[in-house]
Order: sequence, then structure tokens, then C-alpha cells
Amino acid sequence: MKNNNKVSGDARYCSALILRIMGFVWGAVGFCLMTGCESFIEVGLPASQLTATAVFEDKATANAAMVDIYSKIRDNGLLTGSLSGLSSQLGLYADELTLYGGEVNFYNNALLPSGSEVGELWNSSYNSIYAANAVIAGVEKSTSLATADRDQLKGEALFVRALLHFYLMNCFGAIPYVRTTDYEQNRVVHRMPENEVLALIKGDLEQAIAVLPEEYVSAERVRPNKWTAEALLARVNLYAEAWDEASNAASAVLNQTGLYVLEADLDKVFLKESTTTIWQLMPSIPGDNTKEAETFSFVSGPPPLSALSNTLMEAFSPDDQRKEHWTTAVTDGTDIWYHASKYKAVANTGSSVEYSIVFRLAEQYLIRAEARAHQGDLIGAKEDLNIIRHTAGLADTDATTAAAIIDAVIAERRLELFTEFGHRFFDLKRTGRLDAVLSPLKAGWNSTDRNFPIPESELLLNPNLEPQNDGY
Amino acid sequence: MNNFSLSRGGRAFCFLFFMGAMLSFSPVQANNSSRQSLVNTQQHQVQGTVTDGSNPLAGVSISIQGKSNVVTATDYSGRYTLSVAPQDVLVFAYVGYRTQTVYVQGRTTINISLQENTTQLQEVKINAGYYSVKNSERTGSISKITAKDIEKQPVTNVLATMQGRMAGVNITQNSGVPGSGFEIQIRGQNSLRADGNQPLYIIDGVPYASDAIGSFYTSSTTPRQTSPINSINPGDIESLEVLKDADATAIYGSRGANGVVLITTKRGKEGTTRFSATVSSGFGQVTRFMDLMHTPEYLQMRREAYANDGITDYPADAYDVNGRWDPNRETDWQKALIGGTSSYTTVQSSLSGGSAQTQFLLSGNYSKETTVFPGDFEYVKGNMHVNLNHASENKKFRINFTGGYTAQDNFLPPTDFTREALTIAPNAPALYDANGNVNWEDNTFNNPLGSLAGKFRSLTDDLIANSVLSYEWVEGLVLKSSFGYSDLRHDETNTQPSTMYNPAYGLGSEASLIFENKTNRQSWIVEPQISWNRKMGSGKMETLVGSTFQEQTSDQLVTMGSGFSSNSQMDNPGSAAHYAIQSSNQTVYKYQAFFGRVNFNWLERYIVNVTGRRDGSSRFGPGKQFATFGALGAAWLFGNEAFMKNHVGFLSFGKLRGSYGTTGNDQIGDYQYLDTYTSSGNNYQGISGLSPSRLFNPNFGWETNTKLELALETGFLEDRIFTTLGWYRNRSSSQLVGIPLPGTTGFTSLQANLDATVQNTGIEISIRTVNISNSNFSWISNLNFTQARNELLSFPNLDGSPYRNQYVIGQPLNITKVYHYTGLNPQTGVYQFEDVNGDGAITAANDRKTIKNLNPQFYGGLQNQLHYGPVQLDFLFQFVKQENFNPTFMFGMPGTMTNQPAAVTEHWQQAGDNEPYQVYSSGVKSNIQRANTRHAQSDAGISDASYIRLKNISLSYDVPERWTGKMKLRFSLQGQNMLTFTKYKGADPEFKTAGFLPPLRIYTSSVQITF
Repeated sequence: MKNNNKVSGDARYCSALILRIMGFVWGAVGFCLMTGCESFIEVGLPASQLTATAVFEDKATANAAMVDIYSKIRDNGLLTGSLSGLSSQLGLYADELTLYGGEVNFYNNALLPSGSEVGELWNSSYNSIYAANAVIAGVEKSTSLATADRDQLKGEALFVRALLHFYLMNCFGAIPYVRTTDYEQNRVVHRMPENEVLALIKGDLEQAIAVLPEEYVSAERVRPNKWTAEALLARVNLYAEAWDEASNAASAVLNQTGLYVLEADLDKVFLKESTTTIWQLMPSIPGDNTKEAETFSFVSGPPPLSALSNTLMEAFSPDDQRKEHWTTAVTDGTDIWYHASKYKAVANTGSSVEYSIVFRLAEQYLIRAEARAHQGDLIGAKEDLNIIRHTAGLADTDATTAAAIIDAVIAERRLELFTEFGHRFFDLKRTGRLDAVLSPLKAGWNSTDRNFPIPESELLLNPNLEPQNDGY
Repeated sequence: MNNFSLSRGGRAFCFLFFMGAMLSFSPVQANNSSRQSLVNTQQHQVQGTVTDGSNPLAGVSISIQGKSNVVTATDYSGRYTLSVAPQDVLVFAYVGYRTQTVYVQGRTTINISLQENTTQLQEVKINAGYYSVKNSERTGSISKITAKDIEKQPVTNVLATMQGRMAGVNITQNSGVPGSGFEIQIRGQNSLRADGNQPLYIIDGVPYASDAIGSFYTSSTTPRQTSPINSINPGDIESLEVLKDADATAIYGSRGANGVVLITTKRGKEGTTRFSATVSSGFGQVTRFMDLMHTPEYLQMRREAYANDGITDYPADAYDVNGRWDPNRETDWQKALIGGTSSYTTVQSSLSGGSAQTQFLLSGNYSKETTVFPGDFEYVKGNMHVNLNHASENKKFRINFTGGYTAQDNFLPPTDFTREALTIAPNAPALYDANGNVNWEDNTFNNPLGSLAGKFRSLTDDLIANSVLSYEWVEGLVLKSSFGYSDLRHDETNTQPSTMYNPAYGLGSEASLIFENKTNRQSWIVEPQISWNRKMGSGKMETLVGSTFQEQTSDQLVTMGSGFSSNSQMDNPGSAAHYAIQSSNQTVYKYQAFFGRVNFNWLERYIVNVTGRRDGSSRFGPGKQFATFGALGAAWLFGNEAFMKNHVGFLSFGKLRGSYGTTGNDQIGDYQYLDTYTSSGNNYQGISGLSPSRLFNPNFGWETNTKLELALETGFLEDRIFTTLGWYRNRSSSQLVGIPLPGTTGFTSLQANLDATVQNTGIEISIRTVNISNSNFSWISNLNFTQARNELLSFPNLDGSPYRNQYVIGQPLNITKVYHYTGLNPQTGVYQFEDVNGDGAITAANDRKTIKNLNPQFYGGLQNQLHYGPVQLDFLFQFVKQENFNPTFMFGMPGTMTNQPAAVTEHWQQAGDNEPYQVYSSGVKSNIQRANTRHAQSDAGISDASYIRLKNISLSYDVPERWTGKMKLRFSLQGQNMLTFTKYKGADPEFKTAGFLPPLRIYTSSVQITF
């Protein structure tokens, strides 16, 4: 019976223990009942999140909110150098690139309103625009940011907002211009005629120019300054055929000779230290280089994705140094293909050598040349055009009339700015040459392809965006 | 605040350890007090053992016919001793087993095995979560399967074990890739949010979060992100109950809206120590291939397409026709890419036993399955399960500890090759070149096997432990507290070495990437409860009050490593030159509740059950955190009424039951009510970016679900025919949804309560018949049938909302609005559609007006169990009546460089042709391309996908004991998805997301040894 004693001893021990545990638990319940227990289910913010108000009370976090927009622009949407961005897609859509593999809809000029490629361009742009609007609203409400920081951030956000709307308008035609974070307003927005969008872009840029500093806040020109906003303003005015304003804005940039100097060596134009760079996007990872280099380069033929089109290669005159320095030939022994090699570093180089340049000096010369030709300043126009021709190792232009000079500028832009954010397509579009140039080259070209389709999901969710663009 | 909760979590965990430690010095001793013998001097002793065929049965009552005072019972090892006269007849009776009578005939040893009484299921106790209830006295709707059903199926996912076996429970397999998981819907879709329809899973009383643990950066092989449900080992499950109606689910309050899945794991049983092991192995294959074009038809299509488009000079990228590829080559890509055979191996063993006071169970499981893809991939799962029970001598204290640990290693290719298998041109080049290297055919072939250089690997460790202490203070009054802890650690990597890509890109190992997702989730729960049961005259009352405190912390870190000096270094994250955080999330979820139940049973005929819960959840903003839910259930056992007993003899059981109540749904994610910025993982200037987390709305609260149910349960001919007819109506309102928003808002959705009401109604029928039952042969059939309808009842201002083109009042949620296909234009050969609003243009907003319902109209299963001596045969037919997207939806445009179903040869060629498919085009004609896209989004893209499937078949043979002695030996053959009868033209009618590997046909054989 010793065993039984042990059992009952254990049982007593157990019971005492269980009673104590239960006492504790029920005590806690009782306490909880009395105090309402609401405090139990309150949780603090996780370390990975920060309230919107707090973000803009601190310079470092406010800055982090702004640079996040640049990361997004670099990695997704219209301006990314990867396959889905305009540099590649509009190259295929127009006559810069020939497709050898991969997604075909841009190349076939057969965009679908329900296609994910168009939806992604639209959504990621408006997502970045939301973030820019949130920065604008955040710094305006901030009580502790210094004025200089506030101006800098607000100016950058205004510039980004203008930039993205500008590209959206050129791709989609009439678009909504979104200037608030309020979803109640943004979910029912209407499309605005292009001239209204242009006016808003200009308004934003003028505000940005007023508050942005003249100097770069970073050594590597990876944050826009006042002159970046001027450079975009010059382009916006050129597209709007406001020649005086275009010429003035371009001059404002070109006059900054202390900052911007043309590179004599074509191999240095696209290096990250290039003195012709007005604004460039920095890669995410130290030592990485541009997505453009990854997108366009290939080492053996036939190309796995795309190559520069024959029509583009044939447009280079034999002594054009840009063909030599900015394109690379690849052959399999019988055939020969060319890829853009403005950016040369494909892999990680330990320390980055190239960044993705969004605005550079050459475009400003060509903007002013075209604007001056329209203004009747043929000498000035030719001067600007020849500056670019000389850097390419070419002689002076032989154009004499205004019309011929304008044509020469357009031709020069094609060779200077190829595979850079769809310049070629936009030039053909704004000068009304799309059908004449592309119809003979592309079996799928229709004149209604000048605008992308508005994503179908947008029309389904917001009928105010109706009607769909013609041809879709 | 945080410190307070942490210390509590720690304390709960301490309890668990303590509990385990305490058990180790509890006395483990046999208690034979229940063994008795009656002495009669004129008689002799008879003794023996009673088993259920394999296990000893304790507590079997043994009496002598005609001598009501002589009775004994078997002890914990199934033994008995009794004094009998040689001519006596022994009666062996045990709840749930058929009573057997045996003539003594002078024998001194009578061993007997009792057969389970297939008709006495009304006596079985059903687990209802916080309480259990006798099946006959249940007021709620609960479906159940047990280990006996589970062990016949060669499956490794717990949801698979229920498929086709329960009324009102619709389960679909996501894909045939190991570990890809299943979708479950209990009584239809309640929430407009696709991810808001998960039931609440409770394993031995511990809520188990089913939210995905994968990440879209890493989970690329399966249609859904990795689910933690994979961690549950079906072999450890003793019973699985699904709670459906308000009566059963209201006690789970805010988490009961979508039903509750209660999993009870196996427990130690009193008796001699027993060891059991099962080894099974088998193989699996794709159930069927699609009939695709062969090279001649394919090339003919391509050439015709270019001719139609006026292109004579084949483009540079048209390698299949421009002379680069061999026009005479043909490969069956389905065979090459998904035509392999996967293998299955499972080893399961357990050791159990114990005394009347203390019982234990230890079990281990190992399973391995491979894929049908090329390459060596496998999914390995190892699992351990421990259960210890102890009761004090006077049975007033009870302690129960259960712990389970599962480790999984899922190693898969980074992509599912099914889409490629269907779409690659049949004359595409060989996969490997002469040297055995992946063949890129001079950059012209985007070889799918390039991705075999990459890999997807997920490692999951999951610990669940719980213990329950109870103490019976005075008779009928029990204080009880359960403590649960779960800890899940998941590490998923997706390796993308540069060698995955065509060498023409010139990529080296510096471009190789590795994505890693680490997810950790810990939760603890404490649930103190008091229950009080007492008899009151002719009635009895059961009451229960309790409360819940739960905290769950999760964190997920997704990183990307790049810049490797060599691809062989990729498994070592430290060798990445750069490490970037892609996303980082930390969440805390706290939950607290009070619940109660009162059950009153009068004369075993009239039963009322009242349950309720007041819940608070941290997922809601201030002022919205608390809500109350409750239900009333009632049952009338009219079969027990005297007039029925006396006048309706064939009726052996009759019950009418009904319930009404409310439950809620808080599956909306954490912190959704806050306006915050989240660290985005984007890096710029060395600064990690902060991006706006969401459009925020501080004013959202609970989604409520009102459930009404009526059911009639009847048994005839001693329950040999047992039917349950149920009708339910669930209405959910103030839907918590991510309202879709146009992209111009910057986001695609906003979390808010929507003033819409969704109704699910349905009829559930279960019929169980014992067709034949005698000692040698039995045949039992189970039929379950569900006809369900989902309907959007009201939606104020639907036309002004973003849902206007998605939903229709009076229609189900799972509809799709499509164009109406009106046939080919006889002149151009292009698909035409109805211009509903007659504006001359076909637009999505105005002309996608034809409604197609993708919910199953009805579904169910028919299960048959046949027993002939030692041979047992089980088979289950599953049937589903439904429509789904057909192959038209999945393939590219006929004429482009993708293969097509063989039927696509029936196409338009010249004016006047009336064929099912339109003119071929190479893709440059955007009107033809658009017509093709619309065709896929029209009623022509959806067709009948009903099927009847021999879901499971199992044949087993118990080797007679006279050959094996003490050892039991069982051989079985099992098959899954054996036969499918369907008119569906695609690869398989069971899928949720197109283009993934369909469920496989699996054969296994197994041996079970017990001693």
C-alpha cells in the first residue's frame, strides 16, 4: 500500500499545483473582466511600419519616402530600363528594334486593352504619382522639417508628378491628371484633353523650378535639381510647339556651363560621371549597372530578344562615330546583328560605372535647334545641330531651309537618342509622321496605334474614363 | 504593453514544459479494480480476450443470457474472467459494436473479436470543440471522418482526405505538384474577398493560422503560395469534424463564419503496449494528356496564318517556319515535360499503451514523393507525434499533453512545365544537345529546361503543443484550462543561377540571384473554462463558460542575394556580394474572448442549446474591436416519443433540429486600419525606401454572418437506413472587402465594409445504408449530395460602385461576365460577338453582359465499403456538376507560334465557312487578335466541366491470425483519381488556376504490421 500512498501524495501535489495554476488563470480572467480587458488586444506599431505623419517629421524618413519613388521608377513602369519599360517596348513598337524572341504585342502593334503590359505601365505610374502626392501633402503638413528640406522634397515630387503624367499623356493621349491622395476623388477622375494636361504639367514644373536648388543635393546627379525641371519643361514646350518657351528653357539648361559640358569622347557619355548628364537613376545594388545594358545586350546570334533594326543601322552614315561607339555587332558567321551599347556594363562591376541617364545635354541642344528653326532663327538652329553632329564625328548639316533643318534635327534625334525612353516614337508622333514612316515597315501598323489603349480594367472600374481610345 | 503580453506568452510556454515534466514522474501502474469475477461453486471459469479485430477492447460488458445479475467487463487489456455453466450463452456488448452471443459449450477460453456496429453511430460522441455531444443529441450540423477513412487514402494533405466525403464541403486541388495544396469552401463563398473564405482550423484545441506562409518572390511553382496546412500529417488524425451551422460555430464567434475544421489527433489507449508500422509505396502519373496538333497540322496553321496576313517573308523570330527549325521534327511535349512518373513512399509507425490512469502514444512518420517533371525533385516530410494522458486515482484530475512536430523539405523545379508542355511548337528542337547540355539551338529555342538549373526549396518546421488540465471540483463541476503553443518556421528559397538563361545574354554568376523568404509565426493561447452538468428531474443541463486569450506574432523577411563569384556558391547566402531586403513584415495579432454555452435536455426528447461569444480583435481600429455573436439550436427527438415507438415500428430514429445565430469573420490582415509607410526594400542612394502601405480607412469592423439551418435525421430498420436532410441559409453582411479601385487612385483596392449582403443556401443530403450485414459479409454505402446556391442579395448603389461590371444582384459572386459569341463572320472568318448596347463597338464595359456561373451546381460523393472476411474493399466516387474555362481560354491565338488543341484545325478558310475556330493569323492583325481575346472571354470560352471520378479505391487483406500468431499483418492496394468521366476537353476538369499540373493518378501498395 506504499504505492497507494505515493499515488495519493502525487495526486495531492498535482491538485495543489493545478489549483494554483487555475487560480492564476481565473484570477487573470477576473481581473480582466473588471478592467474591461480592452488593453489586452491593443497592439503597437510593428517595427516595419511607420505612421504617415511621423514619416514627414524627420528628414531621413521623409527622404526615404522620396527616394522610394525613384527606385520604383527605375524598376517598374514607363521609365525602367528593363524589358517592360518604354526604351525597349517603344523601340519595338516603332522602327528601332527587331524582335527575335519574347513578348510580341508591342512589336506587332497589337496592344490589347486587357493586356497586362499596358495595365502595368498605367498602374505603376499612378502608384508612383500617389507616392509623389503623398510626399507633397506630407511635407506641407510637416511641422518640423527645415524649409530647405521641405522645398527640396516638394520640388522633386512635383517634378516626378509632371514627368510621369507627361509620359502617360504621350502614350495614352487624354489622361486624368492626379494631384491628390484622396481616393474618393481619384476613383472617379475624368480624362483631360491633352492641352489641359500640358498646362498642369507646366504648372507643376514652374513650381518645381521655383523651389528646387540649382546645385545637386547628391554628388552623382541622381536627384533632380532645378535644371532637370527646366530640361523637362523644354521638352514639354517642344511637344506643345511652344517654340519660344522651349528654346528659353533649353537655354536655361545649356547656359549652366559650369555644370554641363559635352563629352568629346563618346565612350564617356554614358558613364556615371558624365558631364552631359542632367539626371540619372542609380542602380539598387552597389556595383550594379543599368538595366538597359541587360535588356539590349547579347553575345551571340540570332539575338535571344531583339536587335537594332536594319532601317536604323542603315540610317547611320559610314563615318558616324555613334555607330562605332554606341552599337555593337554580333555575328554567327553568316548573319550580323547589332545591339545598342550606349551602356556597356552588363554585370556587376564591384563599383558601378554606369547609371541610367534620363535627361542629358545633347537632347537640350536638339530641342533648341528644332525650336529655333521654327522660330526662324536658322543660324542658331544649325549651330545647335552641328554641335551634336561634331561630337558624332560628322560634318556640318547641309540643310538650309527651316523645313530641311527641322527634318535634319528629327533625323539627328533618331541617331542620337535611339533606345532612350521612346524618343523616336514620340518624335514621329508629335510631328505627324507615324503613318508615313511605320506603315511600309510594319504589317500590323494602324494609324489608331498612335495611342495605347486605356487598360480595360480602368474603364470597368471608372466609367468616367470612357471612351476607349480609337481603334481598340 | 508589449512586455506584458510577452511575459504571458512565456508563461504559457513554461506551463507546457512543466506539464510534460510532471507527467514523467507520475505513477504508471495498472489498475485492475475493474476486473471482477463472480463465483459460483457449480460452475467453471472461462477467460479470454476481446478485441476489435486488432486492438483489445476495454470495458466490454459480458453477461450470461437469462441471468441479468451476472455481469462483468473486460479490463484495459481486453481480458475477462467469468464463472459459467457449460450450457450458458455469453453476451458480449459494447457501445458502437455489434452485440455477439457465444455458446460456452464447456470451453474455458473464449477469445472473441467484436465487429463495429455500423448502424449504432448515434451513440458516438462528436467533438464540437469546447464540448462534445452524443451524436443523437446534437443540435448543430457537424460532419465527421475518422482515421479509418483517412488511412485508406494515399494522400499527404489533410484537406484531400475530406474530398468528396462530406456534404457542404467543397474541396479542389490546386495542382498536382507536391505541396501545392487544396482550396476548401464550407457552404460556399461568404466573403467577396477571395482570401476571406478560409475556415478556422483548430488542432487539439489550438487555433492554427492557415494564412499563406510563402511569398510571391519565391513561390513560383505552385498556383498559390505555400500553405501551412501542409504541416498536418493525416496519419496522426483520429477524427476530423467540420462544424457548419450557427449552433456549432457561434461559439467560435468572429472566426466561425466560414466554418470550423476541428482536428483531433490520435491518443494513447489503455492496454498492452502495441507497436504498429505501415510502409507504403507507389507511383503517380498525369490523369490524361490533351489532344494537340502534330507537326504537319501545326506548320500548316503557321504558314496559312502568314499567308492570311499577307506576309511572305517569314519574320526573324518565326523559327518554326522560317527554316531555322527542322519542319519534320516532332516531339510530344506533354510526354517530355509532364509525362514522368512520380514515386511515393510513406513509413508510419506508432507505439502506444498504458494503464487505466496513464496512457501514451508516440508516433513517427516519413513520406517522400517526387514529381512527374524531368529532373530529380522531391518532397520529404517527417513528423513526430506524442500524446500523454494521466488521471489521478480518483479521476478528479486529468492532464492531457499532445505535441506534434513536422519538418518538411520540398524541393521543386522553379516552374511548373504544364503550360510549356501544351504550347511549345511540336517541331521545336531537342531539349538536350549531343553533349547532354541544355540545347538553346543557337538562341532560337527558349528551352524550358533552362529553368532546371534553378530550384525552389522550402523547409518548414512546425511545432504544435497543447495541454489540458482539468479538475472536477464537485460532481458535475469541472474546472479546465487549455494551453496551446504553436511555432512555425518556414524558409523558402528560389535560386536563379545565370545558367538558367540562354548564354547569348552573356550573363555570368554575378547575375545569379537567390530569393529567400523566411517566415516565422508563433502563437500561444490560454483558454480557462468552467463546465457544470447536472440532472434536474427528467432533464439534464450542461453549462459552460470560458474565455480565450491568444496572441500571434509573425514576421516575414524576403531577401535577394546577388553577385556570386561562382554558381556553385549559391547555396551559401554568405557568398552573395550583395544582399537586399525585398520585404520585411512584422505583425502582432491579439485576440480575446468570453464564451458560454447552456444546453438543456428534457426527457431525451427536447433539447435546446444556446451558445455565445464576445470577441475582441486587434485587427480592427479603436472603437470597432469588440462584437458579440450567438446562436440558438434546438432538437426534437421525435423518434423517442411514445406514439412513434409504438406506432411507427420501422422508424428507429427520428430527429428534427434547427438553429439560428450569428458568426463573424476577421480575416482581413493586420493593421489595415492604420495610415502607414512600410519599408519597401527598394534601395536608392543606399537608402532603404519607405512607401505608403495602403489606402487607409480607419472605419471598418466585423463582417457578420447569420446562419439558419433546419434538418431532419431519420433512421429506419434499426438505423440500417439513415438519412440526414438539411437545408441551410447563410447571409453575410457588412462585407469586409478590398474594394477594387481604378489604378488612378495609386492602389488597386481599399479595405472597407461594404453594405452588401451575400446569401448561401443549400440542401445537403446524406444517406447511409447497410445493404448487407452478417458475420462474413457486409456492404455499407454512404452517399452525400450538396446542392448549393450563392446569391448576392443586395448591394446598394451597385451601379455606382467599382463592382458594377463584376456582380449582379440575384446572381452568385463567382460569376464571370462574358461576351456572347455569335459565330464567325462568314466573310472575314473572324469571331463575332453580340453588341449588346448596339453602339456599333464591342467594349468590355457595355457588351460583356452574358453571365456564367462558375460555382458547382451540385457535388457529392458515393462511398462503398465492402467487407468479406479478411478482405475489405472501399471505393469513393466523387461527382461535380459545374462549368469552367475550357482550353480556348488557355491557349494563344491560333496561327501564332504556340501549339493548339487538335480541334483547332476546324477553322475558317474561305468565305462561307462555318467552323468553330476563326481564321489563322500570325498576330499582326490587331482586330483578329482582339477577337481571339474576346472569344476567350466569351461564353465560348466556358463549357461544361462536370465530372464523375473514381476518387479513391482501397483493397485490403488482413492475414488470418492463425498464420501470424500475435502479429497482425495487413496488405492493401490503394488508388487515387483512378478514373474520370467527363465531357471536358481540357487536361483535367479539376482546377482553380489554368496552366498548372492537374491532380495525378496515384497507385500505392502498403503493408501494415501490428504487434
